[in-house]
Amino acid sequence: MSAAGRRCPLAGIAVAGVAATRQARRLEVGSVEICLEAARAALDDAGMSLDEVDGISAPWPGPGGAVFHPGSADWTAVFGKGFDWVGDTYPQGAPGLLDAAGAILAGQARTVLVFGGRASGAASAGSPSGGGAKSVVAYTRPDNEFVSCWGSLTAAQFALVAQVYFHRFAPDPERVALVAATIRNAGSANPAAVMHGRGPYRPADVLASPPVAEPFRLLDLCLATEGAAAMVVTSLERARDCPSAPAVILGGGSEWYRQQYVDPPRYDDAARIGAAAFRRSFAMAGLVPGDVDVFELYDICTFEVVRQFETLGFCAEGEGADYLAEAGIGADGRHPTNTDGGLMAYSHVGWGGPTLKIVEAVRQIRGTAGPGQVPGTEVALVTGAGSGAQYHNAALLGADR
Amino acid sequence: MQPPDRADRELTGEFWAGVDRGELLRPVCGRCGRSFFCPQVVCPHCAGAQWSYEPSAGLGVVYSFTVVHRPPEPAFEAPYVLAIVDVAEGWSLLTWIVDCPADEVRIGMQVQVRFVPGPDRALLPAFAPRPESAGAGEAAA
Repeated sequence: MSAAGRRCPLAGIAVAGVAATRQARRLEVGSVEICLEAARAALDDAGMSLDEVDGISAPWPGPGGAVFHPGSADWTAVFGKGFDWVGDTYPQGAPGLLDAAGAILAGQARTVLVFGGRASGAASAGSPSGGGAKSVVAYTRPDNEFVSCWGSLTAAQFALVAQVYFHRFAPDPERVALVAATIRNAGSANPAAVMHGRGPYRPADVLASPPVAEPFRLLDLCLATEGAAAMVVTSLERARDCPSAPAVILGGGSEWYRQQYVDPPRYDDAARIGAAAFRRSFAMAGLVPGDVDVFELYDICTFEVVRQFETLGFCAEGEGADYLAEAGIGADGRHPTNTDGGLMAYSHVGWGGPTLKIVEAVRQIRGTAGPGQVPGTEVALVTGAGSGAQYHNAALLGADR
Repeated sequence: MQPPDRADRELTGEFWAGVDRGELLRPVCGRCGRSFFCPQVVCPHCAGAQWSYEPSAGLGVVYSFTVVHRPPEPAFEAPYVLAIVDVAEGWSLLTWIVDCPADEVRIGMQVQVRFVPGPDRALLPAFAPRPESAGAGEAAA
């Protein structure tokens, strides 16, 4: 048994296969098709066939539901087979991984296929994208009656938290912008990124981009693009027979403070969201934040990256931007972060966005991450959502040692 | 955006009916006596199921705000100031700050309710700066 295996039951579970489809502003196929593409590619990556999959986590018509909202499907019908365990974890990423691992540890499934993503089919319609007068993507427009009536959007919900932070701590705008510029430059170098080849970005470019919801400017914020991601979760024992080296689950945890986008998020309640999930995750792994080689953090906005490093305990509240400017979050920095370009420059695909974080973490651990590869990566941290959404989750993945 | 039937909604119809006649209401728990918002089936302070709408004085303080330059839908005319206002009876809501240039809105600013038409012309409970005489030094507890 590995050293990790003695630490916590999760360490007996691993990610054996991952895949991300092509990511683009608009794709010519729909959500179900792009999800299937990701699912099949993840199975290929794991060297498995569908026959071996007995658990599946994907967008179903909702708990007990019978209506196929966009992007959901009866996956038993799509795959032409029943399963021993099904999940509809939202969001995916770390919670999807941990739910699948839990099902396997509880003997409810042996191999779970987790996938999600979105696509509109709009690319084939020839409609121009990004026009100023159009509506933003539906999942960034919360539909609660006390949110939608005011014209709020997810970026604004995070801005309401960030504004209090900026008011109290007055971080250096250049140093905050450096976070976005560094992540975006990683995306520039990633051939798979939607923003590949753009830039290079300097903090001044971020500060000169148009305001969206103060204090955020366009380049402070993540994309809303199209594509899908998938992962195959199975026992470490089984994963060791797969073509690629397993990525072992070292720990993980979730924190649900409130249902997202109903009550407005208050900085005083939301500032430390994630601290408890981090504490539990690192305790399971027998690690400390300083042991993490790559950080694949949920980068809805620059502020969230800063806030998560504060919540991890690397520096005091309010000092995150100064700390990161000194430590460095590029591939050559002390804390390489969002090495694929993150949600800001690689892609963000709704339900499947958090799984993109795991795809990159697994590739980093395998040593196959491409231009953003950090040599010798053994431990990767992935996170999901954040203060504006009023929930947070984390997982630690590591090499099989 | 609000569908026309908002005053018929089971949990929130009374709130919207109040807004339609220019009255700000808030749920008050019959068990613990505290106010809360958004309206929900049980009180978020004590899980009491008996609560009722009572009038609010509509006086509050800006807890946070953001100037939105990119509306989620074209019906909203940017820029506008989205805010969390802490209302004096101990509850808070997402709202707009109106009658104030966006660059003059401040955290901690004293505000009072003002009903304004939303993009579909139905009234919404926004907030405007309080006149100096009424607001100066007043604490919203």
